[in-house]
Amino acid sequence: MASSNDGMPPAAEASSDTPAVKAELPSNERPSPAPNVPVPAAQPAPRPHDAKRAELLYEKCAEAPAGTLFFQRDLSNMDVAENMGELVNLIQELSDRHMMKLLTFENEACWKIRTRQEAESLRLMTGDERLIYQMIDAEQTRGVWSQSVRARTGQTIGAINKILKGLETKGLVQSVLSVKHPNRRMYLLKHLRPAEDIAGGPWQTDGEFDQALIEVVSKLVEQEIRRQTCIEVPAGYNAYTPEDRVEAIARKKARLQAVQDIEDAPAIKPYRPPRQHGRSNYVYKSSRTYPTPETICEFVTNKNVIKDRTITAEDVDQLLDMMVLEGRLEKVSGLGYRVPLALLERGSYNGFVDAPCGICPVFDICADDGEISARTCVYFGEWLQTESELIL
Amino acid sequence: MSYQQREPPILAKLCSLLVEETYGELAARVFSVLARHGRQTLAGLARESYLTGRQIKPGLVVLIQQHLVFHSALDPRVTYYEIDWQQSYALVRHGKILKMAEDRFGRKAANVLSNMLTFGHTRLADLKEAYFPSPEKPPSDSAEGHLNGTGIASAEVDSVNGSSGKINGNTDALTNGAAFVNGASAKLHTTADLAKKGKGKAAAEQGNDDVDMMDAEVVEEEGDPNKIQSVGDLYEIINRLGKAGWVIKVDPDQYLSPGDFHALVRQQAYDSIWTDEQAPTGTKDHALWDSRTREMKRQVRDEWYQPPKFDTRKRKPTDQDNDRSSKRQRLNGAFAPADCSMNGDTSPHINPVDDDLNLRVNFDKIGVALRTEQMTRFVEGRLGYTTSQVYRTMLCILEEHIPRCYEPWPDPPSDPKDVALNNHVDDKFLVSAREVAHKIGREFDLFDGLDPHEVVLVMGRSEVKQNHHIKPPLDPVSASLDERTRLVSCHIRLLANDPFHFATWHSRGGANAGGGRYCVEFDEIAKATIQLEIENTVAARKGRIGVKLVRALKKNGKLDERQACNVMMTTANDIREIVNEMTVQGFVQTQEIPRVDRREAKLSLHLIWYDRQRAREKLLHDTYKGMVRIVQRLSFEKEKIHELLRKAERSDVVGNETKYLRKEELDALKKWKEVEAMLLLQLFREDDLVSTLRDFIGPLVSV
Ligand code: SF4
Repeated sequence: MASSNDGMPPAAEASSDTPAVKAELPSNERPSPAPNVPVPAAQPAPRPHDAKRAELLYEKCAEAPAGTLFFQRDLSNMDVAENMGELVNLIQELSDRHMMKLLTFENEACWKIRTRQEAESLRLMTGDERLIYQMIDAEQTRGVWSQSVRARTGQTIGAINKILKGLETKGLVQSVLSVKHPNRRMYLLKHLRPAEDIAGGPWQTDGEFDQALIEVVSKLVEQEIRRQTCIEVPAGYNAYTPEDRVEAIARKKARLQAVQDIEDAPAIKPYRPPRQHGRSNYVYKSSRTYPTPETICEFVTNKNVIKDRTITAEDVDQLLDMMVLEGRLEKVSGLGYRVPLALLERGSYNGFVDAPCGICPVFDICADDGEISARTCVYFGEWLQTESELIL
Repeated sequence: MSYQQREPPILAKLCSLLVEETYGELAARVFSVLARHGRQTLAGLARESYLTGRQIKPGLVVLIQQHLVFHSALDPRVTYYEIDWQQSYALVRHGKILKMAEDRFGRKAANVLSNMLTFGHTRLADLKEAYFPSPEKPPSDSAEGHLNGTGIASAEVDSVNGSSGKINGNTDALTNGAAFVNGASAKLHTTADLAKKGKGKAAAEQGNDDVDMMDAEVVEEEGDPNKIQSVGDLYEIINRLGKAGWVIKVDPDQYLSPGDFHALVRQQAYDSIWTDEQAPTGTKDHALWDSRTREMKRQVRDEWYQPPKFDTRKRKPTDQDNDRSSKRQRLNGAFAPADCSMNGDTSPHINPVDDDLNLRVNFDKIGVALRTEQMTRFVEGRLGYTTSQVYRTMLCILEEHIPRCYEPWPDPPSDPKDVALNNHVDDKFLVSAREVAHKIGREFDLFDGLDPHEVVLVMGRSEVKQNHHIKPPLDPVSASLDERTRLVSCHIRLLANDPFHFATWHSRGGANAGGGRYCVEFDEIAKATIQLEIENTVAARKGRIGVKLVRALKKNGKLDERQACNVMMTTANDIREIVNEMTVQGFVQTQEIPRVDRREAKLSLHLIWYDRQRAREKLLHDTYKGMVRIVQRLSFEKEKIHELLRKAERSDVVGNETKYLRKEELDALKKWKEVEAMLLLQLFREDDLVSTLRDFIGPLVSV
């Protein structure tokens, strides 16, 4: 999924996958410098030519692939600042202008640059807006719940909601309903795709299951698993018909019956042609290997039915589990799946529900006598094609 | 109280209808009083029923004779009567049982069994008398000994013995219908005739007629291989049914209700360990007491279920004689004429069989057979006909050593962990492919249901050509025993690989096993089939999404709406309505867990959950109700053409229907037959569902 992000390289943006990169949470004041960067006690105000050099530093950073993390040594190697103190000032300058943000990677401070456009919109924000934006930014694809914004800013939920709305209308952030916590609205930057925790896997769009997609894929999967586990044996697959077959059977039967000891197991029911003529029959393949989530995942990926999303074996597993619930597949021998043969067609369920009462809408109020009873029952009447007693 | 004795009112209703249908109104009235008021004395019955003692007694005798009512004379002053629900419900199964008996033991045995079902329990002499009446002995004589033979001391019952005679509970529509539905071939002649003739329901004076009738039949159909030819033949059949466990001895203790039986055995258990001075103390002692009680219950019961041995009391030597002669008969494959003449002689000096033996049908064992049939049908639906027949053969082999579907008094209470650790299975519960290959009929095309590639591999010849054709074709009938064993192995593997694990591989079992020995984990399969029937019901009512919900909850436990949606990959809107409707129907439950002090519903956690045992009981209850409605509709339909049926049954009309009945009448009769068949078929299918839900495993611990 990371590859589809708008130009953000995976390492930093997919922070949910690489939790090692952590955003430093902004505080109410100016962004604090990195903990292990020596900060001059008295900070001189940035001089005009510092601005130019800061610009230069930014440009140099921008040459690297987007999303690159810069550690202090990388920045000093860029040869822009004269000394450490100056570098700190330049970084501070860029941070103040929202062109750079502070992160930590394995407890070491590092920075990333923002696009100019993003920096510009940040500059235009109010302090509160910016603070909340930064919080949202820090969570990346995981998103922030409005309640935790409140907890951290201490503002009223009303005020926060207003700000969030504002950010949303400006097209800077988006909100999605969390899959895990259905009544939580999660906020994340506009250009990010929500992490699976909040948005669900590839089967969901905007937090809702994409029924059409699921149906298409599960049909394909069902067909494929059927192809792999069953074969269709045509009616006359073993066209063996000895002329005296019937007679032979009769003879054998007679012989068997003659010697059958009375303590023998019960006699077996008489012969019945195993198949209906002209009808083919599904049987299970004799191979002992069954398709697994991994092989099906590969199959689905190759089919290319899921646009611009990659699916993993876990995603497929979820789908297969669901299909087992639906009775379209069944699990065999641990990890494998197959199609139940019984599925093919079913006209009946069980003795109870095949009779009118089993599915009767007034079953619970039907009584031994009275207005609704077996005597007056319209459903029985319909089923048996007989007259029922009229209710007077 | 035993699980099976816990009856919902709807079962009482159903059983009352069945009793009325089978034994007439009087018996039904007594029955329904007992059903409504529970355990009663005779006086209590009279009080509750507005019937006099004189009216009650014949009804009660019918019920007792049929084992539909327990009675306890533990207290010598007064006798209590109480319904045996299992036995009463089983009335609906008589047809099915006879069909199974015919499949397993042949027509003659089915005929004998049908008489036993009709008469409740039977003294051997009476049965013999019924088939081969001795001219000098009037049958009403035997009736006295009949009830006396059970050792009932109850004064009330004794007083009515004389008048009770044989109870010709007619095998009415229920049994007949079964035969009808199962195909005309299954129609048992005696049953049919009894039904025609034995309309005098609980009436007492039928004994003579009936015997005459049977006698007439014997004469008529002499030479028919399906006809019982001689007393020896009859005893042979009874012996066989006894060995198979289908028929057992009657014991006075069997008349005790589960509660009385429990009290009795518990006291005995107490006496066997403690004395009056030294009473049990502490939980350990009580546990010991419990387990001794269960042990003794099992002992008593197992004693009942010993195959009835003819003539254990009188003549040991002749017993052996009998054995030898029966062996010879078997070797001959038919009865030698000499045997006939010998056994045909009913003189007590030559007859080796104990005439006073009282016999009854053993529903426990028959339950095992019912389970075999049901599981076979179930497998047929999943894996095809041939595999299901392989399975049936396996189960039939195992049946021999399985006295009942589950042990109601297990000891120690089975701990799943222990069972898992100790996977020792007794040899008699194992079956190998080789045994199945031996047993299964040659006429089965064992290729069917297998991958043709596998068939070719086993047979070591021919090839699978395009489109899965076997070229050149192979003859399934001429496969050698080795080949058949391997084919059977392939089918068993299909059974074992199935998610229901119809068979479980146990051990290699040496060269003779041919692909290993397997056991069948009945309990697990029973649980899975209960679940499946619940799902089927939900599927019929709510479609795929309902099933999905039940399964999701079964798999994941309690879920809130959102979690349920995630597992089911669907939206909340899709399931909300289903959840509500299924909650109303009692298949799922919902629960609200408040999260704030004010218990605001909006903030509460709403969980949905599913409990298999609850759903099982609900479905069982609903199924009983469905059966009640079918029986009610049946009698309504019958009532509508009552007049016509009376006319059609008149002796001058029977056989001359076209002459005496108008076209509309004939059409109406035909229509009635169809309607009856449809309703009965459905009734029996609902009974199948009852077996699955109720009889194959005890109460399940909630998940
Ligand atoms: S008898 Fe008719 S109304 Fe009553 S439950 Fe059955 S189908 Fe419904």
